[in-house]
Amino acid sequence: MNEFVFSDIHIGLEQSFEATVSADKLDKFLEISGDNNPLHINSEYARHKNFPDRVVYGLLTSTFYSTLVGVYLPGKYAILHSIDIKFLKPVFINDQLKIVGIVSYINEAYKQIEVKAYISNQAGVKVSKANIKIGLIDE
Amino acid sequence: MNRAQIFEKVQEIFRDIFDDQSLNINDATNSDHIDDWDSLNHINLVVSIEKEFNIKFNFNELSGLKDVGAMIDLIVEKIEK
Repeated sequence: MNEFVFSDIHIGLEQSFEATVSADKLDKFLEISGDNNPLHINSEYARHKNFPDRVVYGLLTSTFYSTLVGVYLPGKYAILHSIDIKFLKPVFINDQLKIVGIVSYINEAYKQIEVKAYISNQAGVKVSKANIKIGLIDE
Repeated sequence: MNRAQIFEKVQEIFRDIFDDQSLNINDATNSDHIDDWDSLNHINLVVSIEKEFNIKFNFNELSGLKDVGAMIDLIVEKIEK
């Protein structure tokens, strides 16, 4: 886990990691959220709607933004203030995802940083992007 | 940019942050007058003002502000520097 403190942070600081979404994670998300929309749990229905297979929940993929903040940028001393997410393309089971965050603004007075983040797939296509506001509680 | 022009821009920022296009502020407005003016929205206001006017505040400057009028005066002072 990274332990960036406020004074370490600068505009352009970038962190990234890779992740995949397994079928098991979809099942667990269904259990947690209760979202049983057939697009996420029924392959046949998804294909009927012109998707190659069932679509990963947008908010399941977005849990990686939580990991980006809490583990990588800034890591240990983060407290999440807000995330504004846009879903650009569907994600499918076992897609190879890369999660990237870059510091875009620093508010000195209240120790809040803004991170522009995105998730791309194995084809390099952005599947979502996010503006994230994070407080630093290092001192 | 004169004080009235700055005030107009700050009013727009308030309307955006509090998602209320009918919101009218004045010099005496403070956090007691707007229900959603909590700590996170206060940071959102400050950051939006910093970006709009290309200025930076420090914590001590902000902690002494008692209302919108004092904030506008501080913006005027920083822009003139």
